[in-house]
Amino acid sequence: MALWKLNPMDFTKMNPTRQAKIEAAPAKKLPELRTYVPNQIAAALHPEVQYLKVIKIEEEAGNCKRYYLGPNADKGTDSLAWFSAGQYLSISLEIGQAKLTRPYSIASSPRDALNGFYMLTIQRVEGGLASQYIHDNWAVGTEITASAPLGNFTYEPLRDAKTIVAVVGGSSITPFRAMAKSIAEGDEDAELVLIYGSRTLEDTMFQSELKALEESCGKFRFVNVFSDEQREGYEHGFITADIIRKYAPEGEYSLFVCGPQVMRKFVDKEIETLGLRRKFIRQELFGEYFGPAKEADYPQNVASEFQLTVRQTGKEYTLTAPADQSILRTLEAAGIAAPSHCRSGECGWCHSRLVSGEIYTPKSVDGRREADLIYGYIHPCCSFPVSDLVIEVSPL
Amino acid sequence: MDKFDVIVVGAGNGGLAAAANTAKAGLKTLLLEKHNIPGGCATSFRRGRFEFEPSLHELCSVGTAQRPDQVYKVFDDLGAKPKWCYETGHLFRAVVKGEDGYDVRLEAGIEAFCDSVEAAVPGSRKSVKAFVDLKPKIDAAIAYIYEMKGQPKGLTMLLKHSDFMRVAGHSVEEVMDALGMPKKAQNMINTYWGYLGVPTDELNCMHFLNMLYGYMVDGAAMPQHRSHELSLSLVDVIVKHGGQVWYNSEVTEFLYNDDGSVAGVVANGEKLYAREVISNVIPNNVFNMSPQSVIPEQNLKLANARDFGISVATIYLGLDCTAEELGMEDYTIFIMGHPDPRTQYNTRAEDGLYIVNCLNNVVPDSSPEGTCTLFFTMPIFGSDVPKDLKPEDYKKYKNEIAKKYIEDAEKTLGISIMPHIEEISVATPVTFARYLGTPEGTIYGYKLSGWDNLMARIAGEKADYAIPGLSFCGGHYIRGDGYSCAYIMGDTVAKKVIKRLKGDA
Repeated sequence: MALWKLNPMDFTKMNPTRQAKIEAAPAKKLPELRTYVPNQIAAALHPEVQYLKVIKIEEEAGNCKRYYLGPNADKGTDSLAWFSAGQYLSISLEIGQAKLTRPYSIASSPRDALNGFYMLTIQRVEGGLASQYIHDNWAVGTEITASAPLGNFTYEPLRDAKTIVAVVGGSSITPFRAMAKSIAEGDEDAELVLIYGSRTLEDTMFQSELKALEESCGKFRFVNVFSDEQREGYEHGFITADIIRKYAPEGEYSLFVCGPQVMRKFVDKEIETLGLRRKFIRQELFGEYFGPAKEADYPQNVASEFQLTVRQTGKEYTLTAPADQSILRTLEAAGIAAPSHCRSGECGWCHSRLVSGEIYTPKSVDGRREADLIYGYIHPCCSFPVSDLVIEVSPL
Repeated sequence: MDKFDVIVVGAGNGGLAAAANTAKAGLKTLLLEKHNIPGGCATSFRRGRFEFEPSLHELCSVGTAQRPDQVYKVFDDLGAKPKWCYETGHLFRAVVKGEDGYDVRLEAGIEAFCDSVEAAVPGSRKSVKAFVDLKPKIDAAIAYIYEMKGQPKGLTMLLKHSDFMRVAGHSVEEVMDALGMPKKAQNMINTYWGYLGVPTDELNCMHFLNMLYGYMVDGAAMPQHRSHELSLSLVDVIVKHGGQVWYNSEVTEFLYNDDGSVAGVVANGEKLYAREVISNVIPNNVFNMSPQSVIPEQNLKLANARDFGISVATIYLGLDCTAEELGMEDYTIFIMGHPDPRTQYNTRAEDGLYIVNCLNNVVPDSSPEGTCTLFFTMPIFGSDVPKDLKPEDYKKYKNEIAKKYIEDAEKTLGISIMPHIEEISVATPVTFARYLGTPEGTIYGYKLSGWDNLMARIAGEKADYAIPGLSFCGGHYIRGDGYSCAYIMGDTVAKKVIKRLKGDA
């Protein structure tokens, strides 16, 4: 033991040394967070909210409109956040007394955001509360509140094969318009084969644009598949395994699937026959879930509605909650500002504590964490009441 | 809104432990958190079929029901019951690349630990054992200091506790050198510097020894369901005892009484009042949300004098093969480009030191059957992020980091990772700046630098935190970061608050 070599009295010098160091420092106001580089980049990439304005509207095929959104500097948004092609914006809407959100994939490219706009293409859905409202009400100058870009349906070079084969139906084309442009503009180093199912040529969104992009960009191939018409030089029918095989490259590729739920059911079966490894199949968000009663594990003899007690920052509300409507929809219809983004069970933004009662969440959209199940947390966007409930909901 | 007894700002580990204590003591408690879930770093996130642990490597000082250590007691006394899983076998594997490199596994348990260092560096056992044996002496001295209510007699200290003064007054390497420990053995043991972010020629020896001992004796523990389980178990305590936890409720202002004592905070645009406020938020942010006139000069100078602690870049991988198929037998592997901590620290942005964890080797079912996860950690500072990095180049920056380290691990360990990546997520100090809101994305609060070490912080506590009614806890507080320290400090600070409030009731 040679510890005696160390002077124990050095211990007594620590305080004076520290005091001297403190004394020598200035008593000035500390720098704001925005002066630090990591905080600056974080704020630019992930603003808590983006205030936008409609700057242009164009008609698009398939009963769609293109909405070009620019920053609303008057409200404090000077520039638009960069994103990865495939991400979406969660748009906040107030329709009558209802307060709700809708996720829309960004159809423009990340470069376009640097140039001052996002473009969303929104299809008018019959019976669709939000899409009808937007089509009827949004005009040039309308102020919009949006989230930062969100979602993980993006190309990841260390994970995905170099070639993406996208299997897409109907208005779900939007993220792939962004991806095709992003590749052409050099922001993603990948190749894209876009197999796009639509009813007819007339229904096909972005047709001439994507054709032109195919001509000019060697990394992008565009394949139309029409279900309701036969045309020379185009595929006909649904998107089958044979069609995928025909256009997929030799060797590895990553399959990105995005489309309406009916199309997915068909395509999923086709994909199974391709024998791809799971890591090479990526599905876009399932979309909002409706009609839990059809599930085999849905409980028996559930009443048609329940009492829902909602606690939010010290306040309490009592609502009637229909059994066949998600808890999120019940909150929104009552005008309670409740957090939500993806509305598909995945992002967890609506994470809420179930104080008492029972809910049903379909397995296919249950994106909760393991510990959530132990401690009683739910995602209201895909939870349905099966008893009277008390829940705690966060403010926006 | 009625006045609260205690408002806790920030639901990180310290804030959660503090709020759970005050709620359990019957004090009307409100915990405010700016995110939509609790935990700060102690959370989890999902990608595909994987749920990733974002930050915890291994909790030290947990222990078991039969032999509980400090952290176990904090949870157990509160009635929180997370399911602990324990690392079995060795503490860690350390791989140093290059000609003077080595590849060793250090074992858990005092004797086994000393034996494993001896096996790798013959002739080192005596000095290693002497080093480890300092721990009980430190404990005895600390017990005496507590007994004397922080005013120990100088002569008693010198006569009875001089080894404590030597250890607490010097760096890890100064003490090891004095004990004649071979440099190679020092380097192996000091691999742990990565967990504290300060190299061992600067790190206070007592601090390091406490951590080392905590791992060595108890082994390391992990929650079964990622850190999200730890956080929810504490929230459960708070709400069970009538406390409230508000998420998405960022505090934007601290309110003060005319006498300079804290009165409450503003969150969601609402003024909320309390008899005491406990801040899990770093003083830099608190001071910038307060009128400058209320901040004691010493406190402002201290904040100006301090450097921020380390942050990290991390890679989360979900692989479509098992740990066995991958060839990962270990839970924790430190991979280093150089043998000594100071060089590792200086080359941190290149290949200084990084950690690879495979959680399946502690919690086998932490990912679906036929899969495993890997978690890479590179200690770097927020100031290491390139100043000219543009937001549009950020994804490339992240992927370059990830590619470099994954390929290095493949080469160093002789395994194949890349073809198995089913899910990937990469975080950097930018990510931590976003989620924690700390300056430069520091996860360790302030750097535990030579002059601002643990011992000196303990001595300075009273003067350093001088705003009446406002307490601090968390990584930026006295003990620095690490889950264990944050829980223990949150617990300790809350108990002082409880004593004050219940005393004057």
